Order: sequence, then C-alpha cells, then structure tokens
Amino acid sequence: MSLMQNIKEGRSRPSFLSPVLARVFGQATPGAGSPAILLLLITPGLVIVAAFFLIPMALVAMRVADGPDGWATYFVILTNGRYFASLVQTLVMSAGVTFCALVLCGICGLFLVRNRFAGRNMITALLTLPLSFPGTVVGFMVIMLAGRQGAIGSMTNALFDEKLVFAYNISGLFIGYLYFSIPRVILAVMASAQKLDPQLEEAARSLGAPTWRVVKDVILPGLMPGLISSGAICFATAMGAFGTAFTLATDIDVLPMVIYTEFTRNANVAVAASLSIALGAMTWAFLASVRYFAGNSGDVAARGGA
Amino acid sequence: MTTQIKLHDCAKTFADGTRALAPFDLEITGGETVVLLGPSGCGKTTILRMIAGLEFPDAGGKITFDGDDVTRQSIEKRRVGMVFQSYALFPNMSVAQNVAYGLKVHGVGRDERDARVTAMLEMMHIDMLADRAIDQLSGGQRQRVALARAIAVQPRVLLLDEPLTALDAKLRVRLRTEINGLLRKLGITAVYVTHDQEEAMALGDRIVVMQKGKIAQIGTPREIYRKPQSPFVADFVGAANRLDGQMHDGRLHIGERVFDAVDAFDPRHGDIIDQGPVELYFRADGLSTCEAGDADFTGRVEAVSYLGERLRLTVSGIGSMPVIVDTHPDDVISAGTPVHCRVNADRLTVFPAVAVNS
Amino acid sequence: MIMGRDWKFYAQLGLTIVLCLFIMIPVVMSALAGVTVNVFKGLSSGLTLRWIFEVWDLYAASIVRSLGISIACLLVTLVAGVPLAYVLVRRPGRLTRLFEELLTLPVAIPGLALALALLITYGGFGQYRMSWLFILTGHVLFTLPFMVRSVAAVMAAMDMKTLEEGAASLGAGFWRRFFGVIVPNAKPGILAGALMVVTLSIGEFNLTWMLHTPLTKTLPVGLADAYASMRLEIGSAYTLIFFVLIVPLLIAMQAFADTAKRPPKRDDTAEDTI
Repeated sequence: MSLMQNIKEGRSRPSFLSPVLARVFGQATPGAGSPAILLLLITPGLVIVAAFFLIPMALVAMRVADGPDGWATYFVILTNGRYFASLVQTLVMSAGVTFCALVLCGICGLFLVRNRFAGRNMITALLTLPLSFPGTVVGFMVIMLAGRQGAIGSMTNALFDEKLVFAYNISGLFIGYLYFSIPRVILAVMASAQKLDPQLEEAARSLGAPTWRVVKDVILPGLMPGLISSGAICFATAMGAFGTAFTLATDIDVLPMVIYTEFTRNANVAVAASLSIALGAMTWAFLASVRYFAGNSGDVAARGGA
Repeated sequence: MTTQIKLHDCAKTFADGTRALAPFDLEITGGETVVLLGPSGCGKTTILRMIAGLEFPDAGGKITFDGDDVTRQSIEKRRVGMVFQSYALFPNMSVAQNVAYGLKVHGVGRDERDARVTAMLEMMHIDMLADRAIDQLSGGQRQRVALARAIAVQPRVLLLDEPLTALDAKLRVRLRTEINGLLRKLGITAVYVTHDQEEAMALGDRIVVMQKGKIAQIGTPREIYRKPQSPFVADFVGAANRLDGQMHDGRLHIGERVFDAVDAFDPRHGDIIDQGPVELYFRADGLSTCEAGDADFTGRVEAVSYLGERLRLTVSGIGSMPVIVDTHPDDVISAGTPVHCRVNADRLTVFPAVAVNS
Repeated sequence: MIMGRDWKFYAQLGLTIVLCLFIMIPVVMSALAGVTVNVFKGLSSGLTLRWIFEVWDLYAASIVRSLGISIACLLVTLVAGVPLAYVLVRRPGRLTRLFEELLTLPVAIPGLALALALLITYGGFGQYRMSWLFILTGHVLFTLPFMVRSVAAVMAAMDMKTLEEGAASLGAGFWRRFFGVIVPNAKPGILAGALMVVTLSIGEFNLTWMLHTPLTKTLPVGLADAYASMRLEIGSAYTLIFFVLIVPLLIAMQAFADTAKRPPKRDDTAEDTI
C-alpha cells in the first residue's frame, strides 16, 4: 500500500517513510493520525514559514555584510552614535509607556472587576475599543487630542488663552503608545483579577492584615502574571511600532522611523537591514526571556497589530 | 484562652434581598466545638462568616466574644483563625512563610516568630515541608499548613469551613481524627461547618442542624442521632427509611399490623401522640429479616449490595417507597425474591404526619 | 464582598472615567469632524455627508481591496492554521515546540523588519511584487500565529485524545474524525481566530506600508495618505469609515471572549443563600 493511499484512507499502516516520520512526531498512537498524515497537515504552514520567513530573514542577514563597513555593519546600532541614541530613546520611551500603562490599567482594571455600578460594562467596552486600531489611526487620535485643532489645545486656549500642542513630538508619540497599550493591559489585568481567589484575601484579613498588606501580599502577587505578560507585550509593541510615529511626524527619532528613513530616503539597505535585525533580535530576546523567567506569560500571540 | 461566643437575634438578608438566615440565637461556651451541619444553601456558612466578621448581621443582631461586642468589628480585628475549604494558602509564599504570615502582621519579632513557626509545623507533622512551595503539596499537606497558619496566631476562636470536603474519603477520616485531637489539646473554642453527618458526629461537642436558614435542632451527637426532633433532622442524620402509620388510642397501626409500646412523643410539643396519622423514620435497623411466621411484612428484594460486614437489601412493597434493610453478610439472597421482615418498634421515630404542602 | 463606597471608590472611578475620556474624546471628535462642513468653524457650520462621499470616490478601491485581502488571508490561515494547531497540540515534542516558536516569531519581530526581508527576497519578482498577493503574503505571515494559537488553545482544553479515541472506537477513520469531531469541537477557537485574523488584516499598516505599490493600496495605507495630504475633514471621514468596519468586528470579538471565559460560579456564599 502506497503512502498516498495511506493518507487518503487515513490509515496508520507502516510505510517506507515511517521510521523517519516516527522520529519527527514520535510513535503513532491508535487515536491520532499516522505520521504521514501529520506531515501532510503541517505542510502548508511549513511552506509558508520557510518560504516567506526563514529564507527572507536569512537573505536579509546576508545583505548586511554588503554595507559600507562590511561585517562591522552588523554592530552599527552600537557603534554609530546617532543609531545608538535612537535605540536608547526608543528603549526609554517603551519602558516609560509600559510603566504608565501598567499603573493606570492596574488600578482601573481591578476597580472594574471589583465593583458593580451602572455603566460599568459600557466603560469596559469603551476602554478596550482601540484594541486593533492600526498605528496610523492611533496617530490621528493623538492629533485629535493634542494637535493644532485638538481637544487639549482648545481647552487650554479657552482657559489660559494659550494653545497647548504636543502631538508632533516625542510626547505625542508617548501619548499614542499609551493609547494603544491601554486596551491590551486592561484586558489582561481584568482577566487576572477575575481569577483572584477571594478566600485568599479573607485568609489574609483573618490573620489580621490591614488593606495595604492585603494589596501587597495577596492582590499584587495574584495580578503579577497578567501584569508581566501584558507589560512585556506592551513594551515589545512600543519598540516596533511605526504607524503612529509615521503619522505624527517623520523627524521623531525612534528606531523604526530611523530604519524606514534609511531604507526609503537614503536607500541604505544594508544599514536598514542591520538595524531591523538588531531590533527584531532584541524584541524577540526580551519576550523569550520574559517567558522563560516568568513561566508562559510572555505570550507574543496575545499581541495585536502593532 | 477559651472564648465564649454569643449570637443574639442575628439574621442575614443579602443585598439582593434574599433572606439567608432567619433571626436566631446561639451560645457557644468557651472551649466547646460546635458543628454547623446542613445541606448546601442552609445558611451554615453564613453563620460562620458572621462569627468571622466577613458578613455582618442585619440591624438588631448582636455578636459578643466573652461579652465584648464585636458585631461591627471587621475580621482583621477579631483575632479569629480561619481554615477554608480551598485552603486559601498564599501561593507566593513557602509553607513556613504562610504559617509565619499572621505573626508577621501582628509584629511578632523574628526569633519568636521562627520558634513559633517551627513549633506549629512540628505539631502538624509537616516540619520537613517548611521550605516547600504550596503547589508542591498534596491536599492533605495543604490542609495541615492551613491549620498551622490559623492556630499560629493563637486566635480567640477557630473557624473551619468544610475543611475536609476537598479530600478523598480515607484521608478525610484520618485528618478528622487529627483535628479532633488538636481541638481537644488546644481546648480552643471552635466552630466547624460541614454537610457530612459522620464528620459532625465525630467532631462536635454539640451539633447545630440547619435547614433553609433556620436552626432545626441543637444537641449533642447522641441527641441528634437518637432523638431527631423533626423529619428533616431524622432524614439528614441517616434515618432514610420512611413508613406511614396511624395512632389509635396510643397504639401504632402500620397497614394491618398493630404495635404496642411505641415511644410516640411529639418532639415539638412534648406530648404523647395518641391519635391520627403519623410518619415513621428509621435506619436500616428498624426492620430485620425473619422467618415467614414471625413476619410483619413481606416485600420484594429490588437490589442487593454486599458491604462486607453486612448485606444491604433494597426492599419494595412495604411502604410507598422502597426501604433499606440489613441482613447477615453470609445470607444468600438474590434480587427479585420475596423477603420477610419484622419491625423493631423501639427503633422507629414517630412524627405526626403533616400535610404535604406545609 | 462589596467595598464601601468611600473616597477610594470615587477616586478610582474618577481615574477610570479620565482614562475612558482619553480613549473616547479623539474617537468622537474625529467621527464628528468627518461629517462637519468645516471643522475649523466647528459644528455650527453644519453637518454633511460630502466628505464621506469624497473619501469613497478617492479610496473605494483601497477599501474594497483591504476587505478582499482580509478574506483571502482568512482562507489561507484557516487551511494552514487549523491542521497546524492540531499537530502542535496532538504531538507535543521538542520539534513541534521549536516550530511553534518559529511560527510566532513574525509577531515578535517588528513589521518593518519582516517587510524589509520580503522586499529584499522577492522584490525582483516583478509580477508578484506588483500584485496584492505580495501584501497578502505579509498579512498571512503576521496573522497565522494568531489563528494557530486561538485554535490550539481550544484544542488543548477539549481533551482531543479521548474524543478521537471515542470516534475511532466507533469505526471513524482519520479524516472522518478530523472533520466530524475535531473541527466542530474546535469551532469556538476557529471562530475567535477568524475574527482576530480579519480584524488584524484590515488594520495592518507596518508591513503593508512597505509592501504596497500605488496600485495596491489598502485601507490603512489610504488612511496614512489621507492624513498626510488631504484636509482634516477627509481624514476624519475616512477614519469614520474605518470605525464602521472595525467596531462590529471588535464587538463580536469581545462578546466571543466573554462567553468563552465566563468564570465558573463560585459555590460558597452563593450556595448558602436561600
């Protein structure tokens, strides 16, 4: 009986490929499909990942060496002052946004889970609305809020006779990333808060713990996995986000903007590739280490469109 | 260290308007173990949570510990030790840290704290687990840690909310014995909530049987077992067999048979039931198998289960519902055969029959 | 346990409302600006649908193309993702874990870097590079992990082994089991994943901006274009159209997530109530 026939009939009959496939997938169990079937099942995914991810990434990595400094181009992010400054700025801003989002959403998320009041579901729905706004739309929202015709400008104009406009620089970008992060972190905090065991708090209180101690010893540790995972995603997203900066202005020097400029304006493919690889490697390494040190919480697939 | 607890005129209505508890009084003397027994939804946990300070009684209710009014005092001020069904151990702390937590909160110094924790762990036979994480413990070990944590702070009262429900049957019996020993040794006032009649009998100095937000009966295990004051209590403590009868001039008629010398006090009023329809509640020992000549009734065996020390028969055709009868384990009886039974009249509890809908 | 409504309650409520305003003010403002005659004069200048029609004239092709790409992307991720999820869950091992990590990488790596890689590799294939399929490639790469994760999560929770052994004991062959038992039972995950994929694809900008050509603009690319070079009303009207498309998808996704992870009823106080 041929392999094709095996697949067609869904049988687990041994074939010449069986030993190889068994090595890859382990021994066939009566309940599951045969190794040949499993191989068939993963083929489309395998082809997509290989052809459109592995090969292109390898080619990009090779292109870096064509740069002006040869192999040294790989380290241009560390050696070139301008790129390094941009990296530091991107890191600092991402960390800042993450911190703010965690604090604000930690308080509000817990509040929304713990209290029942009219309009609660409405507020939750509104807070999670921007969940998959693309970066450009978020940028436009920042312009609406803090741009020349923005809400904040009009308000300060009416109150102090001076228009407060900060959409088009790094503060605007900060606001944009915060806007983007709030839905994600709120959802994660609310999910963790729902899983908190109320008996743990009752136990702490029965042992005499005042409110602040209950928060410190029971509630925060309970929320921690959710905070870490959503924080990690928030940070990684801020590191790579491009659309918001693109909409606000082209002279904000965050790393994705620098890469874009190098590639399109300066046609400096090797440097753009080097910076891309550095950014990608750092983001991946960060998420992977969070996942490693904090269990399975750095799940990147929880991240929405950047 | 034995605290007397008094609950006076306590009732509980939840925010959504449901009445969890009708007003009741309950006195627990110092050092006594009181078991709150009842099916789920009867209000037993609410009483426990009121004593703990996790729920407050409706206006008018009053709770005192040794005469101190604690009615509006929150749980963290009451110095109660609590053991939860789900253990509620802090997952971010080790075993020793869990036990030390209450001491730390109370500001006990490090040296004394360590000494007390060690003593507690030794007492509960878990000293070798001190540095373990909570998720590395078995259910029984967790329950020991929860007990150690609750008593480490030397609480005025120990409150246990179905602490053994999550464990398997064998372990439950073993831990029950241990808890019993511990409560006697400490001499602490304890309130124990369970829905398990056997557990209640084994642990309680007194048992409070609860039914639908009301106290159905308070008594020693013997009183509850032998003299249930209502069909509900009788049924709940294991007298699951029921027959209908009639009293005529102080004599009990069941079907065609007539029995003298029946203990027919109306438990609610104390008077003798002389006339009228009655309900009879009894355990498997209320009937026994016999020869055809001695039989009061003849039924049909529906099912047979071999329980080792006895053979348990489910017999139909005697009352309106099948009854359970035990017989010698070596008897050979199979389902579908007729069986002759004699009534042991002194084992019957007689209640005046009530209309179905009351 | 209900906390008292003291100052702490109102402080937290206040902060929540501020956060909510932060999210909603720009959304409402841009929606209004999209139907205002002259945004510089404000609402008093009157309401109009003129800008919406103008956006439609200018960008209808981009919007339709985005919808087409998102549906194509959904089909590809379904065909590739569902079987993949099955294998990953059914045969956990070092190799499958490695593959899963590889599969998820395109989400961890910034879209710009991915786009750059695709351009360098396939930029020379003129026909392909100029067609919408090039953009579809990027979208599939980015959304496939979401589909796989969503389906795998449901499959992992449903005790597939027992189900399959049950079906096999009744004589069902592999494909019958797969389509008759596995796929129907994984439906919640497939649906959630599908909503996610469509939403992400419609909104994707980072990759698409680099991959698009003047003839293969998508909705978000058009948005960026409108923000940069059109008057504010047009940008706003376009944003409004985007909201109208995306918000129902988001609501469906939320409703779905809510039913999927409704917390189990607690049994202590609830049960002790008559």
